[in-house]
Amino acid sequence: MKDRIELVASGFGGQGVVRLGQILGEAGVKQGLRVTMLKSHGTEMRGGYVRSQVVLAKKVVDSPICESPDYLIALSSAAYNRFKHTVADNGLIIYDPDFVEEVDNTLTCSQKALPAKKLAMDNFGKPLFSNSVVLGAIAKLLEEEGAVNKEVLLESLLAIIPKFKEENKQAFELGYKSI
Amino acid sequence: MKRFLETGNFAIAEAAIIAGCRFFAGYPITPATELAESMSLRLPQVDGVYLQAEDECAAMHLCIGAALGGMKAMTATSGPGFILYADPFGWALGCEMPMVVLNSGRVGPVSGITGAPGQGEFYNTRYPTQGGNYESVVLAPNSAQEAMAMVIEAFYLSERLRMPVTVLADQLITDGWEDISIPETEEEMKEMGMRFWPRKFHPGPDFYPATDALDIPPVQMGKNTGGLCSDWTPTEQGYDIEEVEDHHKHAYRLIYKVRNNRELFAHHYEKKYMDDDPDLVVVSYGTPSRVVNTAVGRARSQGMKVGSLRLINLWPFPDEHFTRKAKYLAVELNWDGQLVREIQRAVPKDSDVHFLGICGDLPTNQDLLETFDKILKNQPLQRKGWEMEAW
Repeated sequence: MKDRIELVASGFGGQGVVRLGQILGEAGVKQGLRVTMLKSHGTEMRGGYVRSQVVLAKKVVDSPICESPDYLIALSSAAYNRFKHTVADNGLIIYDPDFVEEVDNTLTCSQKALPAKKLAMDNFGKPLFSNSVVLGAIAKLLEEEGAVNKEVLLESLLAIIPKFKEENKQAFELGYKSI
Repeated sequence: MKRFLETGNFAIAEAAIIAGCRFFAGYPITPATELAESMSLRLPQVDGVYLQAEDECAAMHLCIGAALGGMKAMTATSGPGFILYADPFGWALGCEMPMVVLNSGRVGPVSGITGAPGQGEFYNTRYPTQGGNYESVVLAPNSAQEAMAMVIEAFYLSERLRMPVTVLADQLITDGWEDISIPETEEEMKEMGMRFWPRKFHPGPDFYPATDALDIPPVQMGKNTGGLCSDWTPTEQGYDIEEVEDHHKHAYRLIYKVRNNRELFAHHYEKKYMDDDPDLVVVSYGTPSRVVNTAVGRARSQGMKVGSLRLINLWPFPDEHFTRKAKYLAVELNWDGQLVREIQRAVPKDSDVHFLGICGDLPTNQDLLETFDKILKNQPLQRKGWEMEAW
């Protein structure tokens, strides 16, 4: 893997943006990496703006800020528009088309739609599992980078979210296959 | 050694317990709420006491009570709660009660922004109460791991110096998640540089002599010395008095037990690229220093002769780092410039001192590199939409 991988996830409070960062960070620690995960939010936790910034590195992380993220997970239009220009030229934006309606085609980085909410609704009848779909997609990308193994990330997901294990596992696999 | 991904708040709670803290009183406030929450879970497991107070003023008063009862005590808050410590802080300093106070800085003034980092309490932690005639000891970590180490160090210093010691963190440290190593054995603690000092008891019958000596244990209620916890000036025997001569002896002790024992903690700083007398010294503390260290490394690779001085021991202010005439830049998480004033005071006459402020977020590497370049080229510093004062 590279010396340092930056990932920003942002959306509304309640979508699980912080939990996503925590699960990814936990997997990084299990993988022997150095990790920081910052969360920023407004006073209201549900419905307000939330961002988590994850840095996975081989050595101690100096700056914990994602200035030019390798990955942006945009789970709201506001998040997409706020951070799209920060993404590195060879970086990737993953957005959920249910939340991000207008895509900016002038960006130099790659972009990929991941219909996480739709997949969760179609397969489980609940938007609750869309976060696990997203994590599955991240697992695929980070595995290709040689940073975090799929199994380690799944293990962290199931350890941190002890409920609905079977559904979360299936949602994770769906995400893994759909990117 | 246990390794976790956890918040700074969690790491600090574990550190306090390792240091022997068995009493915590607090009032919830972002970004220190999870520390109180962790302590409410952990303290009962180690026969400790957790109390939620009705406000921060009461919380610190409760800590004084616990310290007078012979316990190692701690409280934690953010800026809006720290100012409510003003009354009990004076009491704790005057009665010479060891305890640890954690202040996790967010954006001020008043409630400001809860979930974003700020450094508005640089002077506030130096002067946490009224009346003067005291010194303050403040330690400022820049990561969750270091916050853990500095909380343990603060307990150590508070016992030896017989006073409250403040750990000044910020929202990114306490609320942020990091991989944290928690030592499990005494060897591991020693390897990590952790120092411990047990609570000892004042033999009585007298109070404290007018001395700068370390290691005079604090009095304990009901043991030998009686209830010496008044807010008045004490005589050396521990009685209340309002005489200038007695007050002078008391103040001498409060000031010089710290000033004359600075070697205990003056080694808490970090220098990078400072060996070749850089043209520009970038001074910071807390989380901004992590970006500064990266930016200074990049500046070096671009041929700029820049060094980084990170202060961990903030107060008493370490003047010894500022004896060389050079260009200095203070990087702080506030717009008004606080650390920069102290640097201006400490540097040789006619030194060139600059300020780069930002609040609620960390500066970017690009911001820093552009600023270094301008200072080295003697160009004026200007930010978009922001008229800089001529620091």
